[in-house]
Amino acid sequence: MSISCYHCGLPVEIEGSFSAEIAEEKREFCCFGCQTVCKTIYNAGLEGFYQKTTEDIVLAPPPAIPAELSSYDLDDVQADYVDINSNIRTIHLLVEGIHCAACVWLIENALTKQTGIITAEANLTAKRLRLTWDNSKTSLSSVLHVLGNIGYAAIPFDPETAEGVLARKHRGLLYRMAFAGFAMMNLLWISIALYSGADQGEFRNWFHWIGFLIATPTLFYAGYPFLRNALLGLRHRYLTMDLPIAIGATATYAYSSYITFTGSLYGDVYFDTVVNFLFVILVGRYLEAISKREALSATTRLLELQPKLATIVTEDGSKVIPIRSVIVGDLVLVKPGEKIPVDGVLVDGQSAVDESMLTGESIPVVKTIDDKVVAGSINGEGAFTIETQQVLRNTALAKIVSLMEDAQASKAPIQCTADKIVPWFVVVTLSLACITFFYWLQFDFEKALLAATSVLIITCPCAFGLATPMSIAVATGVGAQNGILIKQGSALESLSKVTQFVFDKTGTLTQGILRVVAVKTIAVMTEDELLILAASIESHSEHGVAKAIVDEAETRKLTLSTITGFLSSPGQGVQASIKQKQFFVGTHRWLKAQNITIEEQWQQKQDLFEGEGISCVLVADQGKVLGIIGLADQLRKDAMKTVTSLQQQGIAITVISGDKETVVNAVTAELGNITRYAEVLPADKSQLVRNLQQENIVAMVGDGVNDAPALIQADVAIALASGTDVSIESAEIILSHNELYKVAEAKNLADRTLRTIKQNIAISIAYNIIMVPMAMMALVSPLVAALTMPISSLLVIGNAVRIKHRVKSK
Amino acid sequence: MDVIYGLLPGMLLLGIIAVVIFFWAVKNGQYDDMDGAANRILMESDQKKDESNNDDEK
Repeated sequence: MSISCYHCGLPVEIEGSFSAEIAEEKREFCCFGCQTVCKTIYNAGLEGFYQKTTEDIVLAPPPAIPAELSSYDLDDVQADYVDINSNIRTIHLLVEGIHCAACVWLIENALTKQTGIITAEANLTAKRLRLTWDNSKTSLSSVLHVLGNIGYAAIPFDPETAEGVLARKHRGLLYRMAFAGFAMMNLLWISIALYSGADQGEFRNWFHWIGFLIATPTLFYAGYPFLRNALLGLRHRYLTMDLPIAIGATATYAYSSYITFTGSLYGDVYFDTVVNFLFVILVGRYLEAISKREALSATTRLLELQPKLATIVTEDGSKVIPIRSVIVGDLVLVKPGEKIPVDGVLVDGQSAVDESMLTGESIPVVKTIDDKVVAGSINGEGAFTIETQQVLRNTALAKIVSLMEDAQASKAPIQCTADKIVPWFVVVTLSLACITFFYWLQFDFEKALLAATSVLIITCPCAFGLATPMSIAVATGVGAQNGILIKQGSALESLSKVTQFVFDKTGTLTQGILRVVAVKTIAVMTEDELLILAASIESHSEHGVAKAIVDEAETRKLTLSTITGFLSSPGQGVQASIKQKQFFVGTHRWLKAQNITIEEQWQQKQDLFEGEGISCVLVADQGKVLGIIGLADQLRKDAMKTVTSLQQQGIAITVISGDKETVVNAVTAELGNITRYAEVLPADKSQLVRNLQQENIVAMVGDGVNDAPALIQADVAIALASGTDVSIESAEIILSHNELYKVAEAKNLADRTLRTIKQNIAISIAYNIIMVPMAMMALVSPLVAALTMPISSLLVIGNAVRIKHRVKSK
Repeated sequence: MDVIYGLLPGMLLLGIIAVVIFFWAVKNGQYDDMDGAANRILMESDQKKDESNNDDEK
């Protein structure tokens, strides 16, 4: 087992590449970000953070901090979020990187140590921070900076516009649930009294009236959503689960009220059944609403990730303005490392731009004059000016958001087995109750009403309603212990029926990081010498290729030489001198432009590498080429095992990637017989999934923002925990240990769960077959009902618990 | 046993008060962060020596 990063807990890929003395002990880190963050935390005396993070929590490496923080101090910009007329200001910040309670502790403690901060309250569930500060003593940018240093990226946002309506709806449901809970607790006392004999004596009527008083508001206030949905469903001729709930509750209520009003001594009241039933179902609905709300907040979050500011160039020089003030045609200056704020065409300068968020392409794309750039992608080392073509809602990023919304709206709700049976169940129950009523009506009205109602109550979908949720609850628990987080239970059921798995390539099937895979040199030079040369120069660059070369040099424990006169041509190459000799590292084309002769053999080698999906950089001195370094993204170690295990179950595998075809083919070659789609744009990804869905039930596994629309479109979405927040939120199943093989394990779990669900449905149907005829014959006394109903539920629950043991014994 | 005629409305009254308090708490945002507060109380206890934390960027 490899060492894991002291800060984030992810495995350290190359031991010793990032290590530091922390509190007199040598610690290993996975990346420079983690190392810096950890140092800052110790310097601030907040090392308690590490005792507070529990073992099983895997933090992610710290997110990149937005570059232009100082602009957030401008009143113009802040006006969107705070009241700028006073010095004491309160703002809501969206914080990327909050994982656990220790993060909350760290943020609050680090901030309250700063001068000028009045309160800082971090919200763990919503990953937000409410900050009140004194603008005369500190500035917003310095607060954001402190957050950045301890590993959190924060962006201001306005909670009301983002989700005001939804929050109010959510709150309404919570009120109804609370009210039903209150009613249930009080009514149970009355029921106990009635059961223990009060229904015989002088208080019988008094208790009935109190029950009526409690049950009436509960049915019409707390039960309103069910009554409404049942009526709506009837109007649209669609039988939903709400209908039997509404009928069961109303019929029981009506019958009990009848007994209460007539003061009859014959029947019993069932107000407690009505109220308990509504409460239990409302609890389920509330839990469902929470997960839906999380999924929605992810969409708004993606929009919040858009840059908020832009530097526009006018005749009077450049100035920073809020993004919404930028109009089409404005010239926008993009500095190195910044996120591009608008879609546009490059008019001046050049750079390499990281578009991985939109295209999934792992290597930055070189942009020169007249090339198009899209908002949300990240600029590399060069600065450039663009002419604005699209702003805000029209940008490509905003379109991904609307794609996600479309997919969410158009996707048919997952048809659970229970959903399919419900309409039949309702029809059969209702007709049986009618038959019972009219049969007994020939003899006695009261007996007819009693018998018909008991048919409704007995079939009242207790065991039936529990059959699916209980199995899923147990499976969710088992999954969580194994690093499979199931966000939406119904996903398990569809996962077991999946016939087609779609994998994203970059970051999902592969590690998502470039690695040096081949080094070729001229005869008089060793590989190490060439690497020392290249790494010494590249260590001054931030490019992904540079990082890969430097990492390789460190793995081989090479000592780098000092360089002078470093020059970088973004996206093309770098040069510097070592001991008065000039060296170049860069692309073929760029070296040619530097008047370096490239012999035929290097051209051949490069072609050979590129055919295998390996990208190349050449190393040269002033006269000739010294060697070639090949870099590639490699498959995860468990990719092969995962794919074969799924294929053995007869599942087809498809790989989608934004990368070039040769690269996709080469990287996935060893996976053998799978379908491959290359150069697929994010919008086409979801289209592709839709096409596959016509003949298959599709599960999508992905990790990037660009996968989000496809994830939502798919029948089941699985995301890796190392992925972006947005992809995690759009997925139903999350693999928390970041191991691809868990995909196959999740599939096994889903199969087992579906089998249990089917058994449970069989149990509850058997129960109904025995009990309903008895109820129709008016033989069911309240005592019999009270005994058999919990027994059927217990059977269903017990069977569900077996999922746990079966998984363990495997 | 006539006391029951008074006790039951009393019980309901208490229940209604509890519901009103709950509604107030929800409106007040007490349920917005269910996990954070529970952990926060455990974490606040250890006080580290309070050194002035200079932002090293400045």
